[in-house]
Amino acid sequence: MGGVYSLIALGLSLIFGVMKVINFAHGAMLAWGMYIALTTMRLTGIDPFFSFLMSAACLFVIGYIIQRTVVNRIMPFHESMQVIAMVGVMMVFENLAQIIWGPDPHSPHTKYSLSTVWLGSVMIDVPRLLAFGIAILIATLVFLFLKYTDLGKAIRASADNRTGALLVGTDVNKVYGVCFGIGAACVGVAGSLLVPLIPTSPHVGFPFKLTSFAIVILGGMGSLPGAMLGGLIIGVAESLGTVFIPSSLKQIISFSIMVLILLFRPQGLFGGKG
Amino acid sequence: MKKKMNRRTFLKYSAAVGATTAISGFPAVLRAQPKEILIGSIQPVTGPLADIGIACRRGNQMAADEINARGGIKSMGGAKLKLLLGDSEAKEEVGRMEAERLIKDGAVCIVGPFMSGIAMAIATLCEARGIPFVIDIAAADAITQRGYKYTFRCFPTVSTFMKNMGEYIGLIVKEKKVAIKRIAVTNTGDLFGRVQGKAWIDHIKGKKLPFEAEVVEHIEYPVGVADLSAEVAKVKAAKPDILCPVTRPGDAKILIRELFKQRVELLGIVSPGAPGLYEPEFIRDVGKLADFVLNNVPWVNPRSPKFKEINERFSKLYPGKYVDTNSGYAYLGVMVIADALERAKSTKPEDLLEALRKTDYRENPMVGGPVQFAANGDNPNATSAMIQILKGEIKVVLPKEAAEADYIFPAPQLWERG
Repeated sequence: MGGVYSLIALGLSLIFGVMKVINFAHGAMLAWGMYIALTTMRLTGIDPFFSFLMSAACLFVIGYIIQRTVVNRIMPFHESMQVIAMVGVMMVFENLAQIIWGPDPHSPHTKYSLSTVWLGSVMIDVPRLLAFGIAILIATLVFLFLKYTDLGKAIRASADNRTGALLVGTDVNKVYGVCFGIGAACVGVAGSLLVPLIPTSPHVGFPFKLTSFAIVILGGMGSLPGAMLGGLIIGVAESLGTVFIPSSLKQIISFSIMVLILLFRPQGLFGGKG
Repeated sequence: MKKKMNRRTFLKYSAAVGATTAISGFPAVLRAQPKEILIGSIQPVTGPLADIGIACRRGNQMAADEINARGGIKSMGGAKLKLLLGDSEAKEEVGRMEAERLIKDGAVCIVGPFMSGIAMAIATLCEARGIPFVIDIAAADAITQRGYKYTFRCFPTVSTFMKNMGEYIGLIVKEKKVAIKRIAVTNTGDLFGRVQGKAWIDHIKGKKLPFEAEVVEHIEYPVGVADLSAEVAKVKAAKPDILCPVTRPGDAKILIRELFKQRVELLGIVSPGAPGLYEPEFIRDVGKLADFVLNNVPWVNPRSPKFKEINERFSKLYPGKYVDTNSGYAYLGVMVIADALERAKSTKPEDLLEALRKTDYRENPMVGGPVQFAANGDNPNATSAMIQILKGEIKVVLPKEAAEADYIFPAPQLWERG
């Protein structure tokens, strides 16, 4: 699960780092990513492990549109006002999903969903392994994109200093749109990777969203390597934790880590001062 | 001087209008109209149990439509039933708020709410407001143990579930001459899951089973869980003979797949009664792995002509669906209310209450006798059946008088099914 957590948190962290807007619709977007992969599979038979590109593309467009129509207007406002708009977006997404795809959880039988590899007595679950691999791969690609391409540099520049970026001629609004799109695409990929693992339903994203908040805080707000590492840490901690405590208390682990971090290192593992 | 409408004056006016509306009391006007009888239906139609909530709402609605198509409540001049729809979002506090709203809107009776925790909240409210509350589905015993006058329950209680479960398993052990000694129990962490899981464990530990058995592992996980690998590994390590899961639709699929992946050897999966393991989506999504799952649930009676009739209508309205525990009992709930209204000849709470107490509703599509209400509001004739999925179809296998097929036990292991 760690890799997928990383990817979800990466999207959240990217959006927050650049725009200082907390994307409350992140969980709902995850559900949309899952549904798009599911629909692609039903229509064309393409396995979710390959159709994640489709989810990414759709979510990118959706993210871009949301940024230009909603997020861009609320950016100058106080955080508490932004929250209301973003929670509104979340509700629209969740309920649209319920209207379009219905309330029943879908968990289709995919090619790999039941395959396992045995190393001696240790079982390795193929869909989890694939999900992990692809998630890490995508996260690395996003990372390289931000580091080395012009657009990536423009995104980082706008994050560091909006006025400065504007002065040197960056089309900040476009950059923000693309950035929100990438954030949404990350969560879209994460969604399609989850299809073989968990049943898809309109409200599936909520616990993931909460966990990814914890991850972002653990890694440092807006820090991308922080989000990746944080995702891995929380993923491993959650599955190890169930050995020692009842699993109905699973979320305690990620949130106690979050509380500890807030107490002793409020800027997060990789966060700068601020 | 011409007065301009600005934000403040607008607010003032709308507040005044709102206040007069509240005081003059539209609801009272609605109550006085004989043409339409309002019934509040509260189900978890959004949130983590949305699929079940919608099935329940459809069941409620289908019953109301049937009554209306037959000419409404005849003793009241053919008054039509109208459902006021409420959504609990699977949360206690929202369920109570919705009930409050529907009562304000003029509901003469509340039906619902699928979840035991919400049933508790609404029962208290209805007692305070003096509005009859007919529980279609909710199993926790405690709901009817508080001496409330206005609460009635069509559904069997958790203790009925456990008594039946013990008897059915006892019968299986006797007939198939297998030994079930080690039992693992899993349940979800909501009120129903906990109560049901704990009741089953107490039943086993209290030596109430007709054979010797112990609980070797008990695992609880939250509703809407995304990963059960660690939990199933624990089950595997305990080496149980059978697994008794109390599930909800999402986690049921994860659980079965995980049992397959980790190659957990079991004589069978026998649920003490839980949703998730009998819906069409479960069979559609997990295919052959769904076969041989035994489930002790209040089920439809395949031999009842009433069931055949409503099932046909239901599958026509909602292709791919069939009437199950949830839609079936939801249907029954509204039919019981309609029957009481017919005899009460009035929508006054006291008259309706009196009529509900004397209920003897015989056109029951579910396994069990006619619906009657004991002094505490429970239906003593509600019971559960043992169902098994055989070749992708759900068959009632116990009790013998309602059985459609013979059960298969022990079941072939999940990964040996081709």
